[in-house]
Amino acid sequence: MKIKVDNLGFRYTGGKERALEGITFTVNQGEFIGIMGKNKSGKSTLASALVGLIPHFFKGAMRGNVYIDGLDTQETPIAELCQKVGIVFQNPFNQISGAKLTVYEEVSFGLENIGLPRNQMIERIEEVLELFGIAHLKDRNPFSLSGGQMQRLALACIMALRPEIVVLDEPTSQLDPLGVEEVYKSIAKLKEKGLTVLLIEHKTEYLAEYSDKILLLENGKLKNYDTPERIFGTNPGIQAPVYTQVCQALNKPKENGLYPVTLKDTIPLLKG
Amino acid sequence: MKVYTLYVPGKTYIHKMNPLTKLLYLAVAIAIPFIAPDPAITMACFLIGIFILGWAKVLHRVIYLLAMSILFISTIFIIQGLYYPGNTTPYLILGKLTFYKEGLIHAMVISFRLVNIMISASVLVLTTRPSDLISSAVRRGISPRLGYVMSSVLQIIPQMATTADTIMDAQKSRGLETEGNLKTRLKAYIPLLGPLVLGSLVSAQERAMALEVRAFNATGKRTFLQNEEDYTVSKAINAIIILALILTIIWRIYS
Repeated sequence: MKIKVDNLGFRYTGGKERALEGITFTVNQGEFIGIMGKNKSGKSTLASALVGLIPHFFKGAMRGNVYIDGLDTQETPIAELCQKVGIVFQNPFNQISGAKLTVYEEVSFGLENIGLPRNQMIERIEEVLELFGIAHLKDRNPFSLSGGQMQRLALACIMALRPEIVVLDEPTSQLDPLGVEEVYKSIAKLKEKGLTVLLIEHKTEYLAEYSDKILLLENGKLKNYDTPERIFGTNPGIQAPVYTQVCQALNKPKENGLYPVTLKDTIPLLKG
Repeated sequence: MKVYTLYVPGKTYIHKMNPLTKLLYLAVAIAIPFIAPDPAITMACFLIGIFILGWAKVLHRVIYLLAMSILFISTIFIIQGLYYPGNTTPYLILGKLTFYKEGLIHAMVISFRLVNIMISASVLVLTTRPSDLISSAVRRGISPRLGYVMSSVLQIIPQMATTADTIMDAQKSRGLETEGNLKTRLKAYIPLLGPLVLGSLVSAQERAMALEVRAFNATGKRTFLQNEEDYTVSKAINAIIILALILTIIWRIYS
């Protein structure tokens, strides 16, 4: 078991209501978990709790426990946790450290902090730049990149720390369609490499395509944690992928009685 | 993209030199003319500076800097020429204004020192990447947090300026008057402040989170991507610079 969240609750200092309450779930090694929910449903708070920003960065009242690879996040400093679990945030721009002048050096920021020897640093930097297709930008100033490139750089910086779990908090919400495509190609690589990924996303087509399971949050509580087909089939309140909507409208369920959520599953049904 | 640095990339030995050696050179080259107020020594420091800048192939950039300081230097000549306390020998009379020889000589000494400071500082500033200087300082025990603040400011302030321009454009497009007399222009800054300050606070928090998850607060020993250049040569140069300082002090005491 890679992640174990046990009865997690959190209220920000000064907040009237609990941002999270009674959240319990587990994630296995290599699973791809989508996290959905309306605004203010606690998605980003959950992401912060998974990487240790709660309770180490945000002040507030925390209940319950989060275990990452067996480590209790309350007892482990972020500097240590970040080598187990990485996070990419919404705004590409604010994830650039600002202390480095080139893309290549930017990746070294976290590695210098953890005290990695120089030769290993170079090896890792070259590997992640290549992996996310930004090796040709290595001498550019990080701030001169496009949104999609910057977000892939943010991902590269995190992946250079070699975490086994990656949390992506709406990584494409501030990008143009081209940037979204670029970032999803990189996310696909994480999945290929067998990493455990938790993706917070509003674009349900992407969630449905990648996720093994979807975790649905509502008002800080866990409403449902199941396969995409069951989530979109049994929660009429949420926006289902367009494929599901089409098949529901045409009344074309799959053999198991559920409606498809991906293009791949939809085509054979509609061909008849 | 705007970057607030005067660094000129290059591959000369001066570029590769330990930034702290250049910092030491800067301190000593400024101190010597004050310790030994002999114009010949100031001149020597000045010529050494020019020689180093020529070696680093950045002399043309200094001429530009010096040109910008002409206004300032000319005010020194005017003030000292007119009002220097030791003024006795009139040198130049322009209408009601009398410029005195002593004042002008004093102004020349001050200007020379000033130019010397600019030349010596240019050696450091034009041939050293700010991040290299800071990382050298962090290696010598300056707190990495302080180092981060110093290096990020150079990049994040231009970013804030860009954000300010964007906000200004957005408000102009909604009819805010930003051009005209001083009062109109000052008034235009007020609606800029809210979004800029609040936006910067939000960015600062997000950036703090992003740094945090990249082990910014790690307590262990840090390593560095950039290799430092050969110590032995730097040490020898440091020794020469310090020797020059000591000799100047001795010369001053016994003369």
